Amino acid sequence: MESETPVLEVLASGAGISIQDSGRSGWKRFGIAPGGAMDLESARRANLLVGNDAGAPVLELLFTGAKFLVLTSSELAIAGAEVECDWPTWRNFRVEAGGEISFGPLRAGVWSYLAIRGGFAAPRWFGSASANPRAGFGETVQPGTRLACENRLPPEEISSRFVPELVREEYGQTPVLPVWRGPEWDGFNDEARGKFLEQTWRISAQSDRAGYRLEGIALESRLRMPSAPVAVGAIQVPPSGHPIVLLRDGPTVGGYPRLAILESSSISRFTQCAPGTDVRFALTE
Amino acid sequence: MDDVAVSRFGPAALLVEFADKVDRESLARCRGLMGSFEENRLDGLVDVTPAYCSLLLEFDRPEHASNQVDRVAQLLKSARARPVEEAPLFEIPVCYDGPDLEEFARRNSLSVPNVIELHTAPVYSVFLIGFSPGFPYLGPLDVRLNAPRLENPRPRVPAGSVAIGGEHTGIYSIASPGGWWLLGRTDAEIFSTKKALDDGSAEAFLLRQGDSVKFLPVEEFSP
Repeated sequence: MESETPVLEVLASGAGISIQDSGRSGWKRFGIAPGGAMDLESARRANLLVGNDAGAPVLELLFTGAKFLVLTSSELAIAGAEVECDWPTWRNFRVEAGGEISFGPLRAGVWSYLAIRGGFAAPRWFGSASANPRAGFGETVQPGTRLACENRLPPEEISSRFVPELVREEYGQTPVLPVWRGPEWDGFNDEARGKFLEQTWRISAQSDRAGYRLEGIALESRLRMPSAPVAVGAIQVPPSGHPIVLLRDGPTVGGYPRLAILESSSISRFTQCAPGTDVRFALTE
Repeated sequence: MDDVAVSRFGPAALLVEFADKVDRESLARCRGLMGSFEENRLDGLVDVTPAYCSLLLEFDRPEHASNQVDRVAQLLKSARARPVEEAPLFEIPVCYDGPDLEEFARRNSLSVPNVIELHTAPVYSVFLIGFSPGFPYLGPLDVRLNAPRLENPRPRVPAGSVAIGGEHTGIYSIASPGGWWLLGRTDAEIFSTKKALDDGSAEAFLLRQGDSVKFLPVEEFSP
């Protein structure tokens, strides 16, 4: 990264910054999680706003507090959480060298994405730049880190792109997300299945890129089974009775019964449910 | 192969269930099915995750899952079990000086030399790779060595730790949190982050599902 011309310097990392793209596939048989941006949909939109491939490396910002210094005039875009920023979100914008970008109060959501025209330069592990510190993938992004562009692209010909408000997700409201019956659905009793679908769950503070824990009235879970395959969106119920929704850096196999599976197209929305906020589930047909 | 079932797993994945108990026969069936999915490419297949009694086929789009249920069922029928006897054997040196060794021996009413003898006697099979990159779940484990996981998992277990958890033994492939009993350590590189760079290669992993493993007790590692 150091050998290329730096375009952006991190002044403050807020709750955390990592480089993410659309993740890696084909390696789960060796215990490698798919990784990738938690809210893939917002990361994709941020990239498209600056004319990148949808899966180019972006910066994933947790909550808020990040601050950057622009070292080389650049075209950027921000998408994701509803966060205050001194630059417009959901549209491309140009910052001249010496300009700063800082993130203020967070209104709703969890993850924000900062994309740069040309994508951020980053090494790949199994074909993806997605950071996963536990697996040893990705370099630390912290105050002082200087980031470079992967591809030097000429300035955009289309001067202005934006995502209309109409098609953006609302993160302030309690979502009702569609789920499929999981392989062990029939192994839970009627009461447990009813409680799962009828109650409003709260996202636990013990949530991260591997999975979000749900707090509420515990579900009775007596099933014991040998470790079985899981995937992003699988909803496991450990003996505590509090479900865990597995996400991008989650395990590849697990020994807890899989009650339900979150509809793939709702995973991005789910990841924007902040700890302490509520979510409900409804069975798809 | 008979008695194999395929079902939907969410919108874009199919679950293949091929056994109802864990033994070398279930492992041979899993290896046979994995081989079959490698030889017969399914449209839009992006990941295959094998486990003890089932495996998961993940597709890029829901249509690729829903349209290929019959094709998968056909492949399952024609697949043949692949016995583990044909798999390569890895001899892995272990220095039995783990922080939990003495406590583990005491709780299982064994002497430390007994534990080492029982742990090094069998030729294990890699039943599964999972939990973390390249982490092998080895078995079958002598029942005298079974022990529930630690009540307080460690926040950091060093890479190369050889450990027991429940009815399994395994080797921590990277430094990670962990709740297994640490009996010893190996200098064998189970996972190489360096070989994962760029597109990565399967050489990043020392072991594959079905491989055989024998632990060799050593006082110290040869340089």
